[in-house]
Amino acid sequence: MALPLILLIEDEATLRRFLAPTLLNQGYQVIQAATAVEGLSMARSYNPDLVLLDLGLPDLDGLKVLEEIRSWSRRPILILSARNQERVKVQALDLGADDYLTKPFGASELLARIRVALRHSIQGLNPESIFDLGGLHVDFERREVTAEGRSVHLTALEYRLLEALIQRAGKVATHAQLLADVWGPGAEGQNHYLRIYMAQLRKKLEADPNRPRFFLTEPGVGYRLNSE
Amino acid sequence: MNLAPSNDTSPILVALGSDARTLRLVHAGFRMAREQGHPWVAVHVEVMGWETAEEADQARVWLQEAHELGAEVTWVKASSVVNGLVAEARRRSASTLVMGKNIPRGLWGHLEHSKAQGVLHRTPDLRIVALALDTSSPKGEVFQSIGDVVGILIATAVLLVVCSIGAAALSAVMGFPAIPAVFAIGVAFVANRWGRRISAFATLVSLLLYDYWFEARFTLVIEDWRKFLYFLGTLLTVQLVVDLVRRLRLETRAGRRREAETVLLMLLGRALARCSTIQEVSEVLARRLQSLFQARACLLVPGPEDTWIRLPEFASAPDCPAPSVLLPEFSAASREDPLEPLFLDGCSFVSLASTGSTEGLLQIRLGNGARFPQESWGSLQAFAVQGALALERVRWVETAHQARLESETERLRSSLLSSISHDLRTPLAGIQGAASSLLLPAEPLPESTRRDMLSMIHDESERLAQLIGNLLEITRLEGGAIKLRKEWQPLDEVVGAALRRAESGSGLRNVRLDLPEDLPLVPLDEALTEQLLINLLVNVRRHAPESPVDLRAWVEPDSLELEIADRGPGIPEAFRERVFDKFFRLPNGGSGGVGLGLAICDAIAKAHGGKIWVEARPGGGASFRVTLPLIGNPPSLPESENLAEENPWPCP
Repeated sequence: MALPLILLIEDEATLRRFLAPTLLNQGYQVIQAATAVEGLSMARSYNPDLVLLDLGLPDLDGLKVLEEIRSWSRRPILILSARNQERVKVQALDLGADDYLTKPFGASELLARIRVALRHSIQGLNPESIFDLGGLHVDFERREVTAEGRSVHLTALEYRLLEALIQRAGKVATHAQLLADVWGPGAEGQNHYLRIYMAQLRKKLEADPNRPRFFLTEPGVGYRLNSE
Repeated sequence: MNLAPSNDTSPILVALGSDARTLRLVHAGFRMAREQGHPWVAVHVEVMGWETAEEADQARVWLQEAHELGAEVTWVKASSVVNGLVAEARRRSASTLVMGKNIPRGLWGHLEHSKAQGVLHRTPDLRIVALALDTSSPKGEVFQSIGDVVGILIATAVLLVVCSIGAAALSAVMGFPAIPAVFAIGVAFVANRWGRRISAFATLVSLLLYDYWFEARFTLVIEDWRKFLYFLGTLLTVQLVVDLVRRLRLETRAGRRREAETVLLMLLGRALARCSTIQEVSEVLARRLQSLFQARACLLVPGPEDTWIRLPEFASAPDCPAPSVLLPEFSAASREDPLEPLFLDGCSFVSLASTGSTEGLLQIRLGNGARFPQESWGSLQAFAVQGALALERVRWVETAHQARLESETERLRSSLLSSISHDLRTPLAGIQGAASSLLLPAEPLPESTRRDMLSMIHDESERLAQLIGNLLEITRLEGGAIKLRKEWQPLDEVVGAALRRAESGSGLRNVRLDLPEDLPLVPLDEALTEQLLINLLVNVRRHAPESPVDLRAWVEPDSLELEIADRGPGIPEAFRERVFDKFFRLPNGGSGGVGLGLAICDAIAKAHGGKIWVEARPGGGASFRVTLPLIGNPPSLPESENLAEENPWPCP
């Protein structure tokens, strides 16, 4: 298999200087763009396996770039954003970004996110029938859920929520995405549904619900099923 | 009066007397000198042998006043006032002489050889400005119009006719002595009521009546001179004595009025001393002018764009011209007497001038829209001076307050700067140093040292990032740039997220949670509340590293209560409020913090409408308490979805 090709759209030279060698060293191919226009044209010409997109570009709103790429590509897109921009992060995720990294971030965090994103991309719409995560085991064919070795009974909605989270395992899922997956359209903005069911899931599946291992909260954004 | 050929340096000579009216001359001289740009000299002429010590002292007071207004002062001894003035004017080659002139009254006034004329006679080149000074205080006459005079004369005549009838009746019984007595009563009444001139007229009429009626029986021939002279003597004596008494009474009354004004001024001074704002000053001035002159008054302060700001706000004085129209009127020498208020459209205006600047104008309208009578100009001026001083004081107080605020801000800013620059530089120095050693072209460092330096670069940059993040956070919170996104949510979720980040980031251990199972949903901004909890936890770890931490939460009827408590050294009572100030660090506090974490907590709690504080924990340690209001009802789940549903395996 060819080395995955990563397109890095980032206007700050410092970050590019740190990112490109790091990625190359990890066995990825890297192409770089410093502006949104350049990035869009490179995305079209090279069709990269993954896009690292900075939201604060000088020439065009990063969200516009995201929408443009998402309109023809299903490949993963990771957002690089500044701190405290929960609203923008949620917007980007709802527009189809796969995950985000808050600057400043470390190399290990970045590589972990890239690995998860690429894995999803390769698995595509063909989920495995068994999901196993240390203490959490789900058999989709038999609809069996086991936590720490004991079988757990879930309600229909809890099960659907768990399913939705596993589909995005390792990635962040926004409130809106989970609500749409589980309750369907019409539940928009009813974030408290989600929170109550999430609490139920934690109670049933986490050893210590107040210090969750699997069902992590991304404050102001959504949830992430910890797949590491 | 001649207009003298004036050159620029020829001074204006002002002749000062010793009585109270001299002050007016001083002001006039000052004003004239300022307007014409000439120097001015105040001169007092002492007529040898004629001046009492009191008069000399008083004259020195006026000279002192003139000196303070920029005059050169001289004291001249001469054989007469005119001689002294002429000599001084020649010596200084003065262009103008300002002096007082008594307002001539009666025959003697006109016959008096005016000093001004005397000087003019001998120095024809000198321009003489003679200010009319009112000499009759109090005024002898109370009537004004011709109609009044005629009415009074007729009344006097009628009264005296009645007197003659009475005298005729009494003299039939008592003989001649009754006649002058009855007439004396009539004349005394007239003299007391209407003053000297009318009483002289009454005396004349009485003489005629007496002569015509009693003396010579309907002729004007005087037969008994002795009786006639006795009659005349009696009446003249009565007239003079009564007039004297009347004047004394009027003097007393005027004295009382002056005393009352003095007391009012003293009260005004005391009331003004208590004022701390312009508004208050204006209220006091308006109230006092109302009680002193029965006048509506207000304070005018120049406002933006050629308008007046009228104070006090409830003032209902009539409109007045804009400053650009009114102020030039003040400087124009349109008034002969500097004490006289400017009169425009039924209102009088007095300038409130203090040291060096005009603080504002007093606009005063007397009840009948009349001008101010001359005898109250002086008190009005005194009023204005007090008002001006009060305004100036208020202005300085405000300036001082502003200056203190600015220096406070400056102090904060510089403490911020020193704090930031130190805290930014320390990690930067580490990063820079470590990175440059790694880049040295010399022999490669041992692997362990290399890793050590790299991890230092990593840790220090993380610290830097956190510091900058906090700075941005507090700036956003305080600048009001953050919109709270409150959502109903279980508290344990936020606590869990905060714990996870605090434990992974700062190595916080042994936090004991005490959250009730049945905590209701609470309306919170998730990200900000997480930040608040993290900051509190990090703070505890920093100041009580080894201590176990208890995180408790419970619900009161309308608030959510949080407590994060440790068993560390606690926080001294003196600092329990200040720890929430920006950049405040405990004097013996641990390392690392910049004093922003708790300030951010405070801002977040306040943004939620709640508050944060710290108490001593019973048994030792600090207890940080947060209370957040619970407003509204938590949303409910759709009824079809029952959490208690016990059908775990739904049919697909």
